[in-house]
Amino acid sequence: MPEELYDRAMTCDVLVVGSEGAGGPTAINAARAGLDVLIASKGRMSRCGASQMAGADFNLDGKSAIELGLPGDDRDSPRRFFEDLVREGFYLGNQRMIEAYVDYAAKSTADLLEWGMPVYRFEQVHAEEMARGIITSGVRWVRVLRRKVQEMGIPVLEDTMVVDLLTREGRVIGAVALDLKTGEVVLVKAKAVVLCTGGWQQAYHFNSAAADLSGDGQAMAFRAGAEMIGMEMVQYIPGTMLWPPIARKSILPYIMMETEAGPLIQLLNSEGERFMERYDPSTLEQSTKEIVAIAGELEVEEGRGSPHGGVYFALKHLTPQGVDFVWGKFAEFLDENNDKRSEFRKLLPQLLEKAKTEDLEVGNAVHFMVGGIKVNERTETGVPGLYAAGECSGGLWGSVRVASATTQVGAQGRIAGEVCPAYVKSVEHAEPEKAQLEAIIERVMSPLQRNEGVAPGELLKRMHGVSEEYLRVIRDGEGLESAYDELSWMRREEAHRLYVSASKARRLNYEWELCLELDNMLLCLEMSALASLRREESRGGFYRRDFPYTDNDRWCVNTVISNRDGEPALRLEDPVVTRMQPPTGKMTFEEAVASGTASLKRGEAAI
Amino acid sequence: MSHSTINVRCFRYDPQIDKEPRFQDYAVPLRDGEMSVLNCLDHIRENLDPGLAYFMNCRLGFCQRCSLRVNGKVVMACETRAEGDLILEPVNSEEVIRDLWCDST
Repeated sequence: MPEELYDRAMTCDVLVVGSEGAGGPTAINAARAGLDVLIASKGRMSRCGASQMAGADFNLDGKSAIELGLPGDDRDSPRRFFEDLVREGFYLGNQRMIEAYVDYAAKSTADLLEWGMPVYRFEQVHAEEMARGIITSGVRWVRVLRRKVQEMGIPVLEDTMVVDLLTREGRVIGAVALDLKTGEVVLVKAKAVVLCTGGWQQAYHFNSAAADLSGDGQAMAFRAGAEMIGMEMVQYIPGTMLWPPIARKSILPYIMMETEAGPLIQLLNSEGERFMERYDPSTLEQSTKEIVAIAGELEVEEGRGSPHGGVYFALKHLTPQGVDFVWGKFAEFLDENNDKRSEFRKLLPQLLEKAKTEDLEVGNAVHFMVGGIKVNERTETGVPGLYAAGECSGGLWGSVRVASATTQVGAQGRIAGEVCPAYVKSVEHAEPEKAQLEAIIERVMSPLQRNEGVAPGELLKRMHGVSEEYLRVIRDGEGLESAYDELSWMRREEAHRLYVSASKARRLNYEWELCLELDNMLLCLEMSALASLRREESRGGFYRRDFPYTDNDRWCVNTVISNRDGEPALRLEDPVVTRMQPPTGKMTFEEAVASGTASLKRGEAAI
Repeated sequence: MSHSTINVRCFRYDPQIDKEPRFQDYAVPLRDGEMSVLNCLDHIRENLDPGLAYFMNCRLGFCQRCSLRVNGKVVMACETRAEGDLILEPVNSEEVIRDLWCDST
């Protein structure tokens, strides 16, 4: 292999892409099995990705909790947890994966406790009638993982973006990465690659996620021949700060609505009307996340939104003493959870002070990607040597995520770390194909070499324009067709003309990194538009204005997208069923949501 | 609400190219509502100069990777209010990777 193609080369048994909630346990378990593990992280360990920002609540069934020495609930069982997850995900979830989630929820939680993760409380989250929630801190969780990875001596390439996978005879044999700090191209030869790269929230302008979540894992898996499942399923979080800019994307208002003081908070439109009185007069703002999100969007559409496209979070109807009471309740909640986040300790008091005299603007932020790389209960994709764990994978939740993602990432990470060693031991390293390596490096380097074309900042704005206009909470056929056409055009006709317009420096060049991320985000959005257009119904967190029914007779099926000569091709596939047969019949979206049980109600859904 | 414009003076240095560091001034409008120092940097990146290097990740005080020297004091850019003219420097100008990004952040 001519060395001038890349700057550095490394070899390992398994490359884990992503270092946090999923990547950490994957690496630790693979190293325990004796593998030579390398982690590549787009940021710094414990200071990147989604996990650091988690609440964090972990779920496991009450009986297994007792076995771990936690309070638990002996009326509960793994079976009961399984049944709740299948039903509340509206039967699209892969039941073998849900069984594995329930099983490994307990195992991966035991690991975290052993490694020193603190538990602040065990409480009633997820299920209304029984406790299934371990409350800890996201920051403490990821630091525990970092310490364990360091103790085991697992090497980590930090600030390194993996850009594409290398394949030979249909199997994955390594990857190409860009060291963001030096601008060097790194070739990694690996017998297996586990993707733990998180979601693609950055494809939306208004999201609640860390900056690194740009669909890199999903897009490189697709390019390597893996399939995607449920790409139309996107979770929003209502009550995310929209304005002022310093607080933008904080989910604090949503969390406040979950506390004891929640019922004191009102959502108002620009006319000062408490609009939930029209959409759900019995439970008002305490209705489900989906209904609150849809109601807010309808108000904005009808011209009754706030100046920045949201609704108002109001405390002004309370006296200043009333606001202080709300803050007091929240402070108790923070103390119980030992939560020291600056978001709570610094930002929140400032916002509450402001709320005494003016209303705050909140909106529906893109929060979690329910679908992703299609895997089975062993985290295997259809491509030999390629695994996916955590949010970048799909198939577990079905149409709405109803329990904890922190548990998902740890459970699937441990599974991936346990499963890949057998494969790794059965194969040899392979030399990359020169043509493939050249094509990847050409894709990486050309935006830096080009002196004219499409500026990445400009394409980002247009892409966000499309996703915010057509691919949000309320969707319809006409809008989805426009979205698909526009995104497909941008990906095919414009993305390959992207160029770095300002500094040509190779170190920490934002425009250069954005060019590579745009390829990935455009592909994810296009696949999401394709799947959304095909699903002619509404289900779970997915709502189509032109098909406002949950149609179990026709649509209790998953959308699966495969790579046909480089282009996304969609087919429908029945969900994997082990013990619970999907229901039949058709009901309105509201009826369907109401028939979902406890965890879909405000106050119990994991955040 | 005020619509004043502030001057944001940024440390610029690419050790691979530049002989020595320099400062560059950008005029940033403080739109109505409170802006953070990070919001000002985003404004520069999106509207004035996408070549300015600074690091951020979570934007809400978790990752601490947007730490900067703001008017001489080390703070997180995301949680620091922009209230007047700003001088922005890396936490440690001895170990700059590029512009406002240094090795310790």
